[in-house]
Amino acid sequence: MAMKPILEIRDLEHVYMKNTPLEHRALSNVNMTINKGECIAIIGHTGSGKSTLIQHFNGLMTPQKGTVIVDGEDVLNSKIDIKALRRKVGLVFQNPESQLFERLIGDDIAYGPLKMGLPIKEVRDRVEWAMEMVGLPFDEMKDRPTYALSGGQKRKVALAGVLALQPEILVLDEPTAGLDPRSKIELLDRIKKLNRKENITIIFISHNLEEVTYMADRLYVMANGTNIIDGTPSEIFSNKNILKENNIGTPETVEILYLLQDAGFSIDSRQYEVDGVANQISSILQYFQEVRANGISV
Amino acid sequence: MASQFELTRNITIGQYIPTGSIIHKLDACFKLLSFTIMLIAIAICGTYFGNIVILAFSIALFMLSRIPIRYGLSGIKPAIPFVVILAILQLLFYGSVASGGTVLVKSGFILITTDSLRLVVVSAMRFVEIILISSVLTLSTSTTELTHGMERLLKPLKYIKFPVHEFSLIITIAIRFVPTFAMEMEKLMKAQASRGAEFGTGQWWRIVKRTKDMFPLIIPLFNSAMERAEDLILAMEARCYTPGEVRSNYKRYHIKVTDIMVLLFSILFSILILFYPFPY
Amino acid sequence: MMIGKKPLIQVEDVSFQYLVNKDEKIPVLKNISFNIYPGEYVAIIGHNGSGKSTLSKHLNGILKPSQGEVLVNGMNTKEKRLLKRIRQEVGMVFQNPDNQLIATTVEDDVAFGLENTGVPMDEMESRIRFALDVVGMSEMSKRAPHHLSGGQKQRVAIAGIIAMMPKCLVLDEATSMLDTYGRKDILKVIRKLNDDGMAIITVTHHMSEVAEADRVIVIEGGNIVLQGTPREIFQKKAFLQNIQLDVPAASRIAELVHHNHANFNPEIIHSYEIVNEVKRLLKGGENEWR
Repeated sequence: MAMKPILEIRDLEHVYMKNTPLEHRALSNVNMTINKGECIAIIGHTGSGKSTLIQHFNGLMTPQKGTVIVDGEDVLNSKIDIKALRRKVGLVFQNPESQLFERLIGDDIAYGPLKMGLPIKEVRDRVEWAMEMVGLPFDEMKDRPTYALSGGQKRKVALAGVLALQPEILVLDEPTAGLDPRSKIELLDRIKKLNRKENITIIFISHNLEEVTYMADRLYVMANGTNIIDGTPSEIFSNKNILKENNIGTPETVEILYLLQDAGFSIDSRQYEVDGVANQISSILQYFQEVRANGISV
Repeated sequence: MASQFELTRNITIGQYIPTGSIIHKLDACFKLLSFTIMLIAIAICGTYFGNIVILAFSIALFMLSRIPIRYGLSGIKPAIPFVVILAILQLLFYGSVASGGTVLVKSGFILITTDSLRLVVVSAMRFVEIILISSVLTLSTSTTELTHGMERLLKPLKYIKFPVHEFSLIITIAIRFVPTFAMEMEKLMKAQASRGAEFGTGQWWRIVKRTKDMFPLIIPLFNSAMERAEDLILAMEARCYTPGEVRSNYKRYHIKVTDIMVLLFSILFSILILFYPFPY
Repeated sequence: MMIGKKPLIQVEDVSFQYLVNKDEKIPVLKNISFNIYPGEYVAIIGHNGSGKSTLSKHLNGILKPSQGEVLVNGMNTKEKRLLKRIRQEVGMVFQNPDNQLIATTVEDDVAFGLENTGVPMDEMESRIRFALDVVGMSEMSKRAPHHLSGGQKQRVAIAGIIAMMPKCLVLDEATSMLDTYGRKDILKVIRKLNDDGMAIITVTHHMSEVAEADRVIVIEGGNIVLQGTPREIFQKKAFLQNIQLDVPAASRIAELVHHNHANFNPEIIHSYEIVNEVKRLLKGGENEWR
């Protein structure tokens, strides 16, 4: 691709408590290239290094070995403006609703822009934009107390708090964990919109393969601290061997397709959406009906 | 800078390092008792020779526990400037207090005598000894063993109506939640820093500003502590906990011959150190 | 189905209000009645705020009904002196894996409930070993809770309940903070416990867990709005969606195929059933699925 990558990771390594008996290698040999405007999922088991990895994206952690290049700039460069980096790469932690601390919704979202020292007018505009992006009406909600919100709404406030920094890359650690189905879908759609309409690059960690197939342009699979494979969801999920060898698990719809395949039916493993699977089953049935109608025995 | 926010993963002090040595296998209760006796001995012993023996003994303990000695020493490192300054001050100004022995230096207000010199050297040695033996204790004993040990040591207090069991349950829960809160604090610091927060910067005299900087950490941490406490109460209730009621105890202790020997040895050792007529 | 069996838990016309202040009450549960029988596997579902968690906390007397009664083996949860025995019969595991382990090691934590109920020491040891074995955590018995993953912590919490040998285990959204892998481990443990005869009540909004149950109770706005087998429940897709709940992909696919091929059974809820259904239709497609 001729496009210039917005995030590049080369041979990244991180060891916790180096040179002690408790030494633990969290990352080794991680390589990633992410282009502007992509929506990327990172999947892998607990302890595969995902959370450690994303903290390297905005300089919360710096590479012990290897390089992290954000928008053409090496994060190890001593002249880098770390605060600007953290604004460019907005990082939303798991269960971010726990980080709210202001009494009113609007104040909490304004925390980041105020810390930047922006003029009040600009802060207000940003808060309004961020609230609109996550689906909280500005005039109605900005002066409401945060404690009275539901879990799903609190999470939206926390997300808006990061969006108010107007990041170019938004990194989310399991954005939908613990939400009920309705809030989950709504949040995912908001994030998708940020990606498609506002052209914000999205990188998210997820355990939910349905979510990954719904959202991601591409996904990286992590295991034992390194990225073992990457590709589009259809490349990964339509390759049974890859799924099996890397112990990734299968989305429910893909599982159904493979069960059909095992039973001797020919299927197209790239059509794994609910509709796609239903259509394939329908046409299998259709085909055999026609065959039978033509008097040929099966 | 890479470890600016790493509260939990890079701390070695208070970490349990299992090596399975004889020291590890000792009963925590006896370890605590022996430790206390040794502390008393260190506090009282004021001779060069006595302290050299104790120091040698502390190092021997480390070797027995098979924990690399640099762990004990890493606890000393940050305190070195403090110890040095203290030693210099003592050397300069203690002459008039500990004026016994021969005068070594006397110029202006500075008075150094053999006694004051000994005081300085012995305090420095004491410091190293205390760090070493307390490191051996904490590095070779898990927090659980320590709390159980403490509970058993406190048991006699039951007779003066001290709520030993409740007290040790509180200690256990406190210890249990230290890593949880440390991890949470770390996550909060990182999350707020991602929103542009800064911690521990700015001039130190601007106390109001620096306190305000802590709000984004303190308030969520406090909220979560309340939440956790509520959850914990429910979980304890659901498992039939009733405050003040008699409970049975899971831990059973087999006192081994080695435990008693170690205790006797440390008593003997301390008496020896304290009463043996060391020449210096 | 359960005729002749004595119910383990009877929820009789239970209402519950939270007191905001003297004059203001928020109704959370409204006239709810149902029975739980020994060995049953029941799922209580509802979206966040539907009252399902409040309901579950009534089952072992953590909350007491404002009106109505909850009886566990005939013991009323309103009687304080019976609470200990009630909680020995009905164990409960909660949502947050970090907030329910009390001790500093796994085995000490499992011992906590046994210490509270005065189990003698010899028995304690064998019960702890048994409970940790059931949840597959025997090898980690000396570990500290903060060195475990979320799923492992929840398994320890379950072991703490199993050791008390209750007749019923209530899981109050116990899997909602876990990743897929952790959740699968927990579901496996629950399956095993239920196969061995323990009654399971799981409170959840994960539909994949619901398919495992014998019976489903759907809560909305403090009322029971739907009750039946998972198969019956999943037929009401529009209704479930309306109250913000989801249905398994297999069930959605079956419905879509059923539209094109009326012979295709729309009541399918498991992946493997889809394949069997396709095979069945190809063998003798004329047969009605009913």
